[in-house]
Amino acid sequence: MYALRQYSIPLLLAVIMHVGAVWTLYRGWNPEKELQNVVMPNAVVARLLVLDAKQPKVDLAAIERAKAATAAKKAAQDKAARDAAAKEKAAQDKAQLALEERAEKEKAAQDRRSQENARKERERLERMARLSDLAESSMQDAIALENAEMQSGSEAAVVQSYHAAIYDLVRRNWSRPPSARTGMSVRVQVELIPTGEVIAVTIIDSSGSTAFDRSAEHAVRRATRFDVPQENKLFEAHFRRFYILFQPEDLLR
Amino acid sequence: MPDQLSIFELIANASLLVQAVMAVLVLASVASWMMIFQRWFFLRKQLSEIDSFEEHFWSGIDLRKFFAELEDDDDLNGIETVFVAGFREFTRLSESGGADAEAIMQGVQRVTRVALMREEARLETHLAFLATVGSTSPYVGLFGTVWGIMNSFRSLANMSQATLASVAPGISEALVATAMGLFAAIPAVIGYNRFSARVEGLMKRYEAFSDELTTILHRAAHSKVTES
Repeated sequence: MYALRQYSIPLLLAVIMHVGAVWTLYRGWNPEKELQNVVMPNAVVARLLVLDAKQPKVDLAAIERAKAATAAKKAAQDKAARDAAAKEKAAQDKAQLALEERAEKEKAAQDRRSQENARKERERLERMARLSDLAESSMQDAIALENAEMQSGSEAAVVQSYHAAIYDLVRRNWSRPPSARTGMSVRVQVELIPTGEVIAVTIIDSSGSTAFDRSAEHAVRRATRFDVPQENKLFEAHFRRFYILFQPEDLLR
Repeated sequence: MPDQLSIFELIANASLLVQAVMAVLVLASVASWMMIFQRWFFLRKQLSEIDSFEEHFWSGIDLRKFFAELEDDDDLNGIETVFVAGFREFTRLSESGGADAEAIMQGVQRVTRVALMREEARLETHLAFLATVGSTSPYVGLFGTVWGIMNSFRSLANMSQATLASVAPGISEALVATAMGLFAAIPAVIGYNRFSARVEGLMKRYEAFSDELTTILHRAAHSKVTES
């Protein structure tokens, strides 16, 4: 009874403490969550940046063209005004001319001006439409380019990974002769068939040491079969024929 | 990332031996915290008791009356037992007559020493347990870790391609055992050091009090002998 009274409260406290510790561990245990959130927006930002770089070019051309258009319009207006002034002067000079005639002439000039304005307006609208079309198509171009780049990027990554696996396999199969020295290097051309089997190994650049050259050749031949991508296009482009450079870099002099 | 690697999944995926080690460590941690709390309350109570006792003792109260008061009390602890044992021996010997002053004092000293030793043992209970947990649980945790890493490397040997992702979970789950060992050990070591220092302080006060008591009784015994 005495023991129960003496130990029950400490036991309760200890258990509560441990449950609390486990609970905080459970709540606070996600070290990778924030990292994920940081990585995601980067791709989006890169995409937008390329588009932003393209847009100003289009805008510049548009502004220039708009400037030219307004200049032309202004010149035309000036000309019209000058014409009108000259006509008025002439009219003033010929004060005896009939009132109707003057009115008629003025009306004709006005007509001409309004016609010209309408035409200019129409042209301007057309130009705007063309410009917006151009901007749209350039944006689509940019997106297509981006996608293509991404595609080729992933393709390069795939090729890289296969290459790495091949190098790894070759390196494991490579037993260097005792005569190997740092600075020696031999380049070997490897030819594969789509199943990944080695059909030919040719020495391209010899190291000068026959033993070393042969060890490199053996390393490739001993692998017999490499992992290659199933896609024919990739295989043809990167794995039908490729080169391996053998260098005993990790050896001491 | 398809699934978050939670610490509970790690524990659930660990091998049986590592899980057993973890369970032992959790039990050790709970037990050592229990001892820590118990000792903490206990020693705090002892400290406040010796304070009030000394205040009472030196307040000029008649020792016979004080002794009679305490003798009726069942729940004696700490310094009170020392006082009661010494005083009881003194009264018994002096009332029995035949003994001279030196014999009385020898008896009193022997009895108080025994009472002091009992008190010391009572104050130090569980401290040995804390010391054990503090010194061994890091090793127990390390054992679990080594075992877990051993297993994860052994399973790595069967794989053709060794990646970090295939070893990392095993090592992580093995390291949980070390973390648990440290989690159990640190409070135990701190508690042990703190409580043993406090026990030492209390024992000093007990010893000082018992010396003072024997001095008083010595004086009384000699005056009694000269009286008669």
